[in-house]
Amino acid sequence: MAESKSKKSPGVLAVFGDLDPTANAIEQLRKLGVSDDCMYVVSGVPVTEAMLGRPPQHSNVPRVAMGGAILGFSAASFLAFIAPYWYPYPIQVSTQAFVPWPPTFVILFELTMLGMLLSTFLAVFLDSFFPNYRPMQYVPEVSDGKYAVIVDCAHVEESKIKDLLKKLGAESIKPAEAQQL
Amino acid sequence: MAYGKKETEKKQEHHEHHGHTEEHFKEKHLMLDPLPRGVMNDMVMEAVTEKPSWKWWATVIFMGATVAYCLVYSWYVLIAEGVGVAGVNRPSYWGIFLVNTVFWIGISHAGTFISAILRVFRAEFRRPFTRVAELMTTFGLVQAGFSIFMHMGRVWLAYWLMPYPNQRMLWPNFHSPLSWDLLAITTYLLSSTMYLFLPLIPDLAMARDKTTGWRKNFYRILALGFRGTEGEWTHLRNAMNIFAFAIIPVMFSVHTIVSWDFAAAMRPGWNSTIFGPYFVIGALHSGMGAAVVVLAAVRKFIKNMDYFIRAEHFDAIGKLMLIISMGWAYFFFNDYMVQWYGGDKWTKQLLHFHEAGPLGWMWFLMLIVNIAIPWAILWNPKWRSTPWLVSIVGILINVGMWLERYIIIPISLTINRMPFTWRQYTPGIEIPLGIGTLVLFILLYVIFAKLIPMIPVWEVQEGQMAHQLKKFGRETVVQVSELE
Repeated sequence: MAESKSKKSPGVLAVFGDLDPTANAIEQLRKLGVSDDCMYVVSGVPVTEAMLGRPPQHSNVPRVAMGGAILGFSAASFLAFIAPYWYPYPIQVSTQAFVPWPPTFVILFELTMLGMLLSTFLAVFLDSFFPNYRPMQYVPEVSDGKYAVIVDCAHVEESKIKDLLKKLGAESIKPAEAQQL
Repeated sequence: MAYGKKETEKKQEHHEHHGHTEEHFKEKHLMLDPLPRGVMNDMVMEAVTEKPSWKWWATVIFMGATVAYCLVYSWYVLIAEGVGVAGVNRPSYWGIFLVNTVFWIGISHAGTFISAILRVFRAEFRRPFTRVAELMTTFGLVQAGFSIFMHMGRVWLAYWLMPYPNQRMLWPNFHSPLSWDLLAITTYLLSSTMYLFLPLIPDLAMARDKTTGWRKNFYRILALGFRGTEGEWTHLRNAMNIFAFAIIPVMFSVHTIVSWDFAAAMRPGWNSTIFGPYFVIGALHSGMGAAVVVLAAVRKFIKNMDYFIRAEHFDAIGKLMLIISMGWAYFFFNDYMVQWYGGDKWTKQLLHFHEAGPLGWMWFLMLIVNIAIPWAILWNPKWRSTPWLVSIVGILINVGMWLERYIIIPISLTINRMPFTWRQYTPGIEIPLGIGTLVLFILLYVIFAKLIPMIPVWEVQEGQMAHQLKKFGRETVVQVSELE
């Protein structure tokens, strides 16, 4: 949400050296009146929402994965149970049933897993808007273990935000201008 | 006064001892020896971006030429002349191509084992070498795919395996284990490649931030615009958890299905209900053996890797290798015992042929290198922590596991229920083609080591954040917090 607002004003980007001051800054920003929707954190290592004191992030990945599994299972069911009857020359193998359960289970399992894993992969792309080669708010120091807090809040004075972030130990504060990664 | 002095000395000694213990822990454990993230990034990127030496170029040219001759040209000959140039003939219609297929699928199991199973069980030592192992899965499956296409002969008709409405209105036969193979191997190849790529994205973003020129563009495209926002990490973490849990049954299914190619046939030596788990444990045996060799090579030949890959990692893999070797021995003996006890005339003949036939040396060598040597060396913590020694064991295990597949396929096919057809298999063009797949596997590692960060730096940093030393009474112990 903060990213879409950033098109109107660049906002503020503060770089912190450690996790604790970052979490502290988020808490103090909230007290200043900056809502969670108006800020986000960029880090080079996964830190949970609980560590940062941020609300849980919504992710569609598990749902899409489940959808993919259902799709894969349906495709396998079609191939195993329906398609064979469409053909005028069915292949009878020994005394096995025309659609025997044990091999069918193998087909159902493999295609269900394939559907689930493919859709999980796809879900990361969809949820994260990958690939995205447009300019974005970012600082390369994040790769070196720094934490960037990006604040874009119209109803709180930018100077107040900057002062607060400086007081809380931000290593650098600059306009959160979008740049080519 | 004297008492006080003694106490002070004692305290000093204790502090020195404590300091010494901390140093010892740091030296031993990567997770307790953190460096600033930027320094670790620079170390990894230096290894990737450093100008290749003439030795690197010579290696790549030599391997490229070998691949061109052994794989490309020999495959051309196989296609142009037909499968007659291979050694397969009655009764051994399956030869080295399928030995290599099974072998490479086995190798591919190490990646999933290390990356997924150890991730699920939160085995912290896995962190620096998950990528090296994941690459093994993808590269191994590529060689397995090549080998099975070679076996097909008329490779351009491979699409016949796909279920589609063909002109004779025949439905591809899902009753055949070979069609299950197609599905299982395709699923595994796609899944393992995606599983390799997902944790690579943050490191590609790091590489993008650290490079210039064509490399920056290369990493920029592959990093997909990853910045490390909370949302991106959450989606990535969710996806990696799903992959870690879901790819494990897929891995088990792949080698089980490969085993059914044999076990579903009513042949002496093949028709065994234990072949599924026996193949899976065999795959892990060769896979872990190969993983330790690759790890030792990465540590030896790639700059700065001795910081990330330490004796503790060889020790941990060595323990796993020992346990897996015991598991393999158990399944081997179980299979052998039941076949031997059954008393079937042809099975007895086959078992006798395995041990006392012209290639009986393979059977004994297999047992020596798969059981005796690993057990003799890997029980000792000092020996199994020695990279060169444990990688020799890894190479020997792979020789043993390749022989095991050779015994199961062409040697076992020699003996059947029609003695007038008995004939020993002699490989032809399979040999250069097999060498070609091996060299291509190594070449892919050599090239990729110059293209992508071989160490998942963010995973290492995450692990280092979770580890600390804590004192319980007088004992200093390692404490791990669950951050994920």
